[in-house]
Formats: sequence, structure tokens, C-alpha cells
Amino acid sequence: MEAPEFGRFSDPAILILASLAGGEKHGYAMMEDIKATAGVTLYGALSRLEQNTLIKALPADERRRPYRLTPQGAVFLRQYLTSLEKFVSLGLKRLAA
Amino acid sequence: MIFQKIRPWLTRLYPRAWRERYGAEFDALLEQCLHSPLDVVDVFLGALDAHLQLWAGENVNWRMMNMVNKLRTTILLVFTAFIGFVIAGFGLVGLADDSPMIPLMQTNTPLAVSWYMIHAGAIVAFLTVVIGGLPLVLTVIRKAFTTNRRNLALLLVPVISLLVILAYVGFIFLVWTGRIVLPGVVQVVQPGFFPVGNRWLMEGLMLVFILGAAASTWAVWKAITATDTQRETFHIPARTLTVDIYRFAFVPAVIASVSMLVMLISTLVWGWISFTALPQVFFGNFGPWLTNTQIWYFGILVLMFLCTLMAFIGLARGHKAGITA
Repeated sequence: MEAPEFGRFSDPAILILASLAGGEKHGYAMMEDIKATAGVTLYGALSRLEQNTLIKALPADERRRPYRLTPQGAVFLRQYLTSLEKFVSLGLKRLAA
Repeated sequence: MIFQKIRPWLTRLYPRAWRERYGAEFDALLEQCLHSPLDVVDVFLGALDAHLQLWAGENVNWRMMNMVNKLRTTILLVFTAFIGFVIAGFGLVGLADDSPMIPLMQTNTPLAVSWYMIHAGAIVAFLTVVIGGLPLVLTVIRKAFTTNRRNLALLLVPVISLLVILAYVGFIFLVWTGRIVLPGVVQVVQPGFFPVGNRWLMEGLMLVFILGAAASTWAVWKAITATDTQRETFHIPARTLTVDIYRFAFVPAVIASVSMLVMLISTLVWGWISFTALPQVFFGNFGPWLTNTQIWYFGILVLMFLCTLMAFIGLARGHKAGITA
């Protein structure tokens, strides 16, 4: 899977996916989990992730709607993190040299 | 708090379509996190972004992310179409079996050719589905035993369906051999008369077969969708193969779809020649269990047409997603 361009939603999208990898969460719980993202930015990223079926909306509990990572979202996150891991180890090797 | 008072107005800055989908939960979120003027600015920016997103339609940069989804759907649509063709194929065999078309095929070459074309199409479609689907099925089974155990129950559905069909066939065999006696069912059916009991027995088999096929297709669809792997490594004697399972299945899916089209056209030709030569068969009751020929034939044609259409719609989706590039 090729990496898409997230624009200004790049970091929130990955953070959301990583947050949902730990289990289903609604918007506020995700914000609490990832700390660094504002609610509005969160929903900009959420709508894009949902539109691209990387996450799935579950039935709402009153006004709060939990989200779940889809299998495709898990694949994407895994690939992203793997490529990041390679990048990190390469950078660390170069620093050590 | 002033921010909470203007909250409903802020939400209305978003497009209607966006509000219909996210409005309630977004409002609930703002209730908890709208605290400063910076948050209000953020809402303005978010609303602007939502409008831009709406005007731009689907974000093209995200299309590639959908590639695997679309290719998976393509493969599953072709597979479902193939199962539909299997059902139609059994119907066609039932229609031709013991009918006056069989002796006619021995003297009428075009009729025989169209019949063999249907057979050839069926064999090619079957082989391509098996070959194209093999890495995918092996991957789903492997994942079901390791990381995705919930799929085990889904994978049992085709097995149970097959066992039910076999059990029903065994039951018919026992009735046919006289070991089980059912009221209204005779062991040997006389030409020109098909008892109601025997008809129910055969219609039951047809129903069990169709339900089993539908349930199995649904289960396979769900199991594949729930498996988050697109590439798998297989160890075969003296070799290690890494297969992009959906890409690998695409060309066989194209061949299977073309085979379905060939079968559809051949069935049309076969029916046209048969019923031109034997109009009394077309207007009579020569279907399975002495049912109406026209209903069977047109039912089979409609099913084949819908399945072919489904397969080509699937291919078009895959092609549009840039999968073949």
C-alpha cells in the first residue's frame, strides 16, 4: 500500500489509528489518549480515515460515537510504523557512526 | 461560558452533509473541549476544510489507499458471480438432462458446439477461480489459525453447508433404494409423470443447495474482508514465494469473467437453436421434474446475465482503481 498524502492531517491520522489499535474509542477518549490533537483537527482526520475505510464508526452511544480500526486500517498502520522503524534505525546507525 | 453559548452556531459553520454525519458527536466533543479563542479559530479552520473537502469531492490522494479494498471487492464480486453461475449451470444441466435436446445434439453440430462451449467455459472459470483464489484461501485459513481466530467459525460455514447437502443427497439415496419410505414418493418415476412427493424432495435439494451456496459465499466474503493481509509468503519444496494475493487473483478473475460471458452467449445460442428446432419443447413442460421449460430457461438466462454483469462491474471497479497498472 502506497503512503497517501495526509496534508495537515498527517500526524493526527496516524495518532488516531495508533489510538484505535488499542481498542474502540469515541472522539473525546481519542483526544485524551493522544493528547496533542485538538478536537476540530481530530474530526478532520476522522472523516478522512472513515471515508477511506481505515476506521469504522460504530453505533452511537447517545451523542458519542465510538470508532474501530478496520483490517485495512491495521494494514496501513503496520506498514507505516514498519517503514518508520526502518527510518529510525537507519538514522540511529548514522548518528552512531 | 461564552464559548459554550456560541457552540451551536459554530457547528452550523460546517456543511449540512458533514453535520448530518458528524454533527451530534462533534457537538458532544465541543461541549468538553471548547475552552479558548484558539479553539474557536480551530473550528473556523475545520469548517473551511470540510467545505473544501466537499467541493473537491473525493480526495484523489487517498485513492491509492482504497486500492486494496477495491481489488478485494473485485475479487469477491467475481467469486460471488461464479457461485451464481454454478447454480445456473446445475439448472441448465437439469433442463437438458433427459430432454429431447440431447439426441438433437448428436445430429445438430451448432447445437453441440454451443453445448461444449458452455462446458469449456465452466471448466476454464472453475480452474481460474481455484488457481486465483488458492493463495487467498490459504492465507485466510492460515490467519484464522494464528491471528484471526474469529474467522474459524466463518470458515466452518462452507464445510457445514457441504455436509448438509451430502446428508440430503444421502437421504434421497436411501429413499431411492427403498430403505426409507415416504408417503407420496415413488422409487422409480415413470416417464411423463412426476409425483408431488418426489417434486418436493427434489425442490428441497435445490433449496438446500442454494441456501448452502449463499451462506458459504457470505461466510467466505466476511472471512476475506476480516483478514488484513494483502501479501503472504508460501514455502513450497525448494522455493519460497511471496504472493500479492489480490493482484495475483486479478488476471484469473478477468479470465473467469470472460468465461462467464462466453457461457452466457453459448446458453443463448444453445436455447435459440434448440427451441427453434423443437418448439414443442420450449412451450411444454420439459424442465426438471416436468416443470415449465420457458420458466427454467429464462430463469437460468437471467441469473447468468446478472452474474456476468456483477463480475464485469467488479472488474471495472478494480480497473478504475488503477489496479491493472
